[in-house]
Amino acid sequence: MAEMEIKFDVNGKQVRVSAEPNKTLLSVLRENLGLTGTKDGCSSGDCGACVVMLDDRPVNSCMVLAPQAEGSSVVTIEGLASNGELHPVQRAFGETWAFQCGFCTPGILVSCYALLESNDDPTREEILTAVAGNFCRCTGYQGVVKAVEQAAAEIRAANKSGGGS
Amino acid sequence: MTDSAVVGQWTAAPGAEEIVTGKARYCPDIQLPGLLCGKLLYSPHARARIRKLDVSKAREMPDVYAVITHADIPGENSYLYAEPDQPLLVVDEVRFQGDAVAAVAAKDERTADAALQAIEVEYEVLPGIFDPLEAMKPGADPIVHGEDNIMMSKMYRSGDVEAAIASADVVIENTYRTQWAEHAFLETEGGVGLVGDDGGITVYSSCQAPHRDRMQIARALGIPESMVRVITPYIGGAFGAKDEAHVQIHAGLLAHAAQRPVHLIRDRRESMLTHVKRHPMIVEYTTAATKEGKLLAVKARVIADAGPYTNSTHEVLNKFGEFIGGPYKVENVEVEKIGVRTNNPITGAFRGFGAPQAAFVYESQMDDLARKLGLDPLEIRLLNGVETGTKMYTGVVVREGTAMKASLEKAAEMIGWEKRDQVEREPKKHLRRGFGMATILKGSGLGRGLADHAGVVLEMHRDGSVVLQSAAADMGQGIITVMAQLAAERLGIDMSSVRVVRADTAKSPDAGGSCASRQAMVSGNAVLEAADTIRDTLLSLAAGKTKIEKDRLDLKAGSLTVDGERHEISVKDLAQRASNWGYPLHAESTYQFEYPTDVPEVTYRYSQEVFQFCTQAAQVLVDCETGQVTVERLIAVHDAGKMINPGGVFGQIEGGVAQGIGYALTEELIVDEGHTQNPSLENYVIPMALDIPQLEMEVLEIPEPIAAPLGAKGIAESPIIPTAPAIRNAIYDAIDKPLYELPMTPERVLPVPDVSD
Repeated sequence: MAEMEIKFDVNGKQVRVSAEPNKTLLSVLRENLGLTGTKDGCSSGDCGACVVMLDDRPVNSCMVLAPQAEGSSVVTIEGLASNGELHPVQRAFGETWAFQCGFCTPGILVSCYALLESNDDPTREEILTAVAGNFCRCTGYQGVVKAVEQAAAEIRAANKSGGGS
Repeated sequence: MTDSAVVGQWTAAPGAEEIVTGKARYCPDIQLPGLLCGKLLYSPHARARIRKLDVSKAREMPDVYAVITHADIPGENSYLYAEPDQPLLVVDEVRFQGDAVAAVAAKDERTADAALQAIEVEYEVLPGIFDPLEAMKPGADPIVHGEDNIMMSKMYRSGDVEAAIASADVVIENTYRTQWAEHAFLETEGGVGLVGDDGGITVYSSCQAPHRDRMQIARALGIPESMVRVITPYIGGAFGAKDEAHVQIHAGLLAHAAQRPVHLIRDRRESMLTHVKRHPMIVEYTTAATKEGKLLAVKARVIADAGPYTNSTHEVLNKFGEFIGGPYKVENVEVEKIGVRTNNPITGAFRGFGAPQAAFVYESQMDDLARKLGLDPLEIRLLNGVETGTKMYTGVVVREGTAMKASLEKAAEMIGWEKRDQVEREPKKHLRRGFGMATILKGSGLGRGLADHAGVVLEMHRDGSVVLQSAAADMGQGIITVMAQLAAERLGIDMSSVRVVRADTAKSPDAGGSCASRQAMVSGNAVLEAADTIRDTLLSLAAGKTKIEKDRLDLKAGSLTVDGERHEISVKDLAQRASNWGYPLHAESTYQFEYPTDVPEVTYRYSQEVFQFCTQAAQVLVDCETGQVTVERLIAVHDAGKMINPGGVFGQIEGGVAQGIGYALTEELIVDEGHTQNPSLENYVIPMALDIPQLEMEVLEIPEPIAAPLGAKGIAESPIIPTAPAIRNAIYDAIDKPLYELPMTPERVLPVPDVSD
C-alpha cells in the first residue's frame, strides 16, 4: 500500500509522517514518532492502554486510523507535563499508589487528564466513569480515585489563588 | 526496626516518575538498530499430527532473516519448570491450541506475517480428549502422551479419616467445580534477543524469574549459562503466568539464528491461547463434625485438568492439598490429588497457586456446615480456628497464629456482622441482600526442603549515594520499593539516594523467582544484611573520628546521630572518608530462608510455615429476576507481619480482591473441545472500574518470628483467595441457595428459590 503524508500536532509540536493509510494512530505514535509511552494492550479497543487526546477528546488510538488525525492536535502521556513540571494528576498517581506495573497508567492518566480538563471537582462516580474504559489488572482503581481527588483539589486551590492557567 | 523514617511510611515508588511520564520502557518499547520482528506459528488444532512441515519458501523470502523449526534448536527442545515435557517447537504432534510449530524473524511485522503464511504445514487432525474424567479412565483413548493420561496421582493421609467420619454427628459431602481463569496481565508476554560481540546471547525478558530464564535459554541453545544474560526491563504484570517461560527462549533462539536482534511479543489473542491458566478443578469434599460444630475430619479428592504438559501442576496440587483443611484445627485429613492430561489449555501458576480453588471449597463447606448445625458462620470459624502453637494436619506448627481469629473478629466488626439482620434484606421485591465471610491461610516462601534464597549487591559511593543490584523481578508488586526502603532505613539516607538496578543476571546474584509471596522476606532480609555490613564500616569510622563508643552511634536522616541526637558529621562525610581511606563500602549478601528444625515431624512435603492469615466479608445484592450479583461492600482484613510499604500492601489487597471478584462472578475461559472461545479482553469478562465496590481494608501487623530479622511476610497472594467464597456465602445468605461452581454467573444463580411464601 502506498504511503501517504499525514500532518498533525503531537504534544504541541507539528509533525509530518509518511505512513500507509491503514496504519493506526497508535502505531504511528509508537513506531514513526518513537512515542512509546502510549501502550498497546489488546489492539482491539478493549483495554484503554492506548488512550490519547485527539482534539480535546480521549480516544483509543488503536481504533483511530492515522489519516484521521490529519490537521488535529494529539496529546500523549509524554505531553502531560509542561515546562518540565508534572501535571498534578501525574504527581498524585505516584503518591497514592494509583499504579503497580504501570502498563495501563499512560492510558488511565490521559483519561483522568481529560476529566480534569472539564471538571475540577469530580465525584467518585465521575472519576470511575472517566476510567470505565481503562483496564487495570493490578489495582482495584481505589488509588486512581484518590489520585484524581488529590489532583482536583490541587487544581482548584491553584485556580482560586489565581495561579491556574 | 523501630522509630522508622522510611520503613512503614507511605512513599512514592522509585521509578514512579518514569511510569507517569511514559518513559518507563517495557519489552515492546525496546528499540535497537536493525531490530527484527519475531513471530511464532501456533497450531490451529487442539490435537493433530504434523504430516509435513516445509519452511523453504519462507526462508527464501526477501527480508526474512530466520525461520526455525524443532530441527534448528541446537540444545534441548523443551520448557523446564519441573518436567521438561512441553516442546518449544513441536516435533510431530500438536497437543493443544497453543503449541508452536515454527518461528520466524523478519524485517517488520508484515513481512513476518507473510513468512508465517508461506510456511507449509500439513496437519492430520486427530481426535482429542477434553474431559478429565474420561481421560483418567483406564483404557482412555487417546493418550495425550506417555503411558496414560494420569500426570500425577498422590494420596496424603493424616490420622484416621474413616473412623472420624463414622463417629461424627454430621457429615457433609459436596462436589465443587472451578474454571479456567486467565491472568490478563496488561503487557503480553515478550522478549528481545540479541547477540553480543563474543557470541553471547542477551535477552530482555518480561518474566518473574530471570535466572531460571537464563538456565532455560542456555539449555535450548546448548551453550553455557555464562554466555547468556537476562535483563528485565519494566514488566507489565505477571500474576504467575510469567513465572513459567513463554517466548523469551524463542527470542534467544531467533536472535541466534538470525545473528541480529529480534523482538518477539505475543498479541493479546496469542497470549490468551498459549500461556498457562489457573487449573480447573473438580473437588469431591467431605466434612465430618460434632454437633457442636467441631471439625473431626476432612476428605478431599481433587481432579485437575492439567492440559497436555506438566508445567507447575505438581506444585499447584501440592499447595492445594496443603491448604484444603483451611485455617482450622482438624487432625484427620485425607487428600487425593490427581492431575490429568487433556488436549485443553495448559495450566499452571496463578496468584494463590492452588489455594483459591481450595478456599472456595473449604469455606463454602464451612457455611454449609454452620447451616446444617444452626450455628453462626463466625462462631463456627472461631471455634475451629488455628492458634499460635496449633499443630496442623501437615505436621506444621503454627508459629504465629494470632491473626487467624483477630482477622475474623475485625472483619466481623467492620461489616457489622452482629447487626446484619437489622439491614434491609429485601430493598425491592426482586432484590435480596446477603452477608458472607471467608477466612483463609496461605504460606509465604517456597516450602520446607526447597532452596529458598536471594542475593543482593549493595554499594555506597563517596557522595553517599547507593546502588542496589538485585535479580528479584518487579512485575509491579513493588519489591524494588521495599528493597530501596530497607536500604535507606538501615543506612540513614533518603530513599531518593538509593538507585535499584532492575534485574540483570550479569550484575546480580540469583534471587529466585518473584513467586510464592517470598521476595519481601528473602530479598528484604538480604538487603538488611548487606546494608548492615556497610553501616558497620561507617559507624566504625565515625567512632574512630569522634572517639565516641560505637554503640551510641546511629545513622538517621542523612546524619550521624549520637544517643539519638543529630551530629554535624553527615553520612556523606563518612562515605567520603571511607573512600579516601580505602574502606570499601561494598557488600554482597545472600539470605537463606531457614526452616526451624525444632519441630515435630512435618509429614506434608514442601509445606510452607509462614502464614498469611486473612478474612474477607462481603455484602451482596442479588437480582432475583436477572440473577445479577452486585458486591455492595467488601471488607478485607489481612496480616502483613510487618508492613514495609503501606502503599504496596494496600495496593496488593485492592488488586487481589478485584481479581477475586472476577474469579467469583464473571471470569471464565470458555473452552470447547480444546478450542478457546473467548481469547480477548472483550469476551473474557474482567471487573472494570465501575464493577468494584469501595473496599474497606485493615492491615494487622503481627511480626513473623521465622522471617527474622525483618518480620515481614508476603502479602501478594492472599487477597485473591477468600473473595470468591465470601461472595458465595453472601449469595447463599441472600437467596438461600448454595452454589458449588465458579464463576457464579446469572445462569447459575437462577432460578432463585421462592422464599416469600
